[in-house]
Order: sequence, then C-alpha cells, then structure tokens
Amino acid sequence: MSDSTNYQELARRYGFAPKSESASRLTQLVARQDSDVDEIVKVINKDPALRARLLRAVNPDAENEAEYSIETVEDALMRNGVGCAMVLAMGTPLALALIKTAQTMLSVQMEMFDRSLAEPLENEHLLCTIGFSGKVVGMVYLRINLASARIIAAEILGSSPDDMQDVNEIRDVAGELLNIMAGNFKSNLCDAGLDCKLQPPEVRLSTDTYSPKVPGGGLERMTFRTEKVQIFVDVTANPWNTD
Amino acid sequence: MATKILSVDDSRTIRLIVGKAFRPYDVQLFEAANGEEGLAAAAREKPDLIILDVTMPVMDGVTMLTQLKENAELKAIPVIMLTAESGRDNVLQIAKLGVRDYLVKPFKDAQLIEKAGRIVTLQKKPAAAPATSPAATPAATPEARPAV
Repeated sequence: MSDSTNYQELARRYGFAPKSESASRLTQLVARQDSDVDEIVKVINKDPALRARLLRAVNPDAENEAEYSIETVEDALMRNGVGCAMVLAMGTPLALALIKTAQTMLSVQMEMFDRSLAEPLENEHLLCTIGFSGKVVGMVYLRINLASARIIAAEILGSSPDDMQDVNEIRDVAGELLNIMAGNFKSNLCDAGLDCKLQPPEVRLSTDTYSPKVPGGGLERMTFRTEKVQIFVDVTANPWNTD
Repeated sequence: MATKILSVDDSRTIRLIVGKAFRPYDVQLFEAANGEEGLAAAAREKPDLIILDVTMPVMDGVTMLTQLKENAELKAIPVIMLTAESGRDNVLQIAKLGVRDYLVKPFKDAQLIEKAGRIVTLQKKPAAAPATSPAATPAATPEARPAV
C-alpha cells in the first residue's frame, strides 16, 4: 500500500477534516519553478475565493472590482509572475486555519475582508510572529488589538473579558492561535514537498505595522473580522530557497 | 478512583483548554510542558491516558512517543496526539510508532472528550450544588459570555 493510500486511511480513521484541494494543488505547482502557467491559471480559476483574492492583490489601488485594471487570472500572472500565485498558495491554509479556529474554539463565523475597510490597529497592539525555514523560508505576522485579544482569550479559556487582566495570559493565547495556524500551514507546505520547520512563536507588544518581505519572496496581507474582533495576518514566503 | 490523564503541551493555553474539557469528569489531570517532563510524569504517575503535542522545546512529542514505546513499563499507556500538524509524513511516522488516536488543532472540547472516552472511563462528577455567591455570576457560563 502506498504512503498516500495509508495516509488517506489514517485521515479517515482519525476523522481529519478534508484539506483544501485547490490550495494543496496550487502549492505543489508553485513549488516547482518549471510549472506550466496554464495549469496554475486553471487551478485558480476553479476556486472563486482564490481568484477573487488574486485579483484583489494585483489591483492594490482599486477601491472595488469595477476599478480593476487587471481583470483576469491570466493577465495577473503574465504581468506579476508566478510569485503572486505563490503568496496565494501560502495564505490559503493560514486563512482556512484561522476561520476554522474561530468556528471550533470561539463558536463564531470569521470572514476575510478588505483591509482598506478595517479599523486601524491601535498604536500599541499585540504582534505575534513565527518564522519557518527549509525548502521554503518565510514569516507569518499576526497583529491584533489588545482589547480584541482579551475577548478571544476569554472565550477560549472559558472566562469573561473583564477577568482577563493578565497580559501574559492574553499573549499566550494569541501565540497559540498563531501556532495553530502555522501548524496547519506547515502541513500544507510539507505535503507539497516543501519541507520546513517552524521556529518558536514570538509575541510582544508593538507599535510596528510593517511586515518586511523575505528576499525573493512575496507578501500577502489578509484581514479577518467577527462582530467584535479584527485580526491582521501577513505572510511572506519564498518557496524557491536555495540556501 | 479518578482516571489519570497526562497533558503534555508547551502551550499553557492548550493545557488550560484540556483541563477545562475534563473538568466535569472524575479525572485527575497532570501536566507537562515538554517531552522530557512528560516522560518523567508518565513514569511517576502511570497515567491511564496521555494527550501529547508534537512541536515542543527540549524534547518534541515524536521523541517522547518513541521513548515511551521503548520503555517496557510505559509502552502500554494509550496516547492521543493533539497537534496542529497533520502533514502526511508526520502522521505516517506517528501512526507507525503507535498512537490510539490523533486530534488536529483547532478542536472542540467535545471532540477531545469523545476520543478520550473511547479509550478510558470518563465518569461525570456529581452536579455541584447551585451557587449563590456573587462570584458565580452568569458571566462565567458559556451562554452568558458576550459574542466575539
């Protein structure tokens, strides 16, 4: 029996949730530098959410879809290179993990939305980072206002926000949130042949909202919200690391 | 006699969530923050079940599991992996070492209880007398917590 069949059997036995096929396939394609662009286009066009995110990312100045100067996936890849598909592939498992964490551990629906519509971060906010290195190198940044982090920590720990006064406890929950996202993210990369290791997460109070790109890599900026909480997630990655 | 469960995770948050999940049951919960501490706690307490993370400092979960299975006195203790990593190679390696179940983070308390309940006896604690003190306000119950 092949490893793949074995894995599917185990995934069934353990009750794993199905993974996003388009994200897995896109990661596999992007991992190979000689991939056929037409195949990448096909995968993105099949997934409306991926397509919408790509077009949003390549039209950074547009207020809405009517203002897009790049309107097709083909055009986006022709003008921006495969790198823009790469960050899309990287961001998807992170986004799915965060949305699933909100559903399972916070019992709320979290949606991704346009960062231009977000309320700005407070000057001092929680910044959680986790680096990864191996065949792919990069960094995930999660930013959240302290008040939002307090609400999330209270919900996860079964407490009330007023009782969550210990900043270290709030930081610990925020760090674990990033850990869960990064673990799911890493699994997707490893399954695509991009073996990598996660570094320990770091959580601190920060006023910095700048997420630097790794050399040769791309950057995707995603924003999520529930009724009371906003979370800013940036991911930068280079899947063609030669070090 | 209470069921003994050992939670091995470097995240205090996860250990708190595991503790919260088992709170309604007659369970004696032990905690360890890495594989090395986990092995020591397993040898000392001989738990009925170990809930084990993968990525931890000092000694990771795969190393702890390997050493547990090599120890004649400890190898029969059932293990549930509780980790965010569900990559193919990781899962295959861990399954080969021998685990009873595998739960991917994020998870619901009910999922953990269901998986643990298939392996060990989970007896509900008798219901506590109704609280009358101001400390036990409805805000402490899940229903009364504000929406996120």
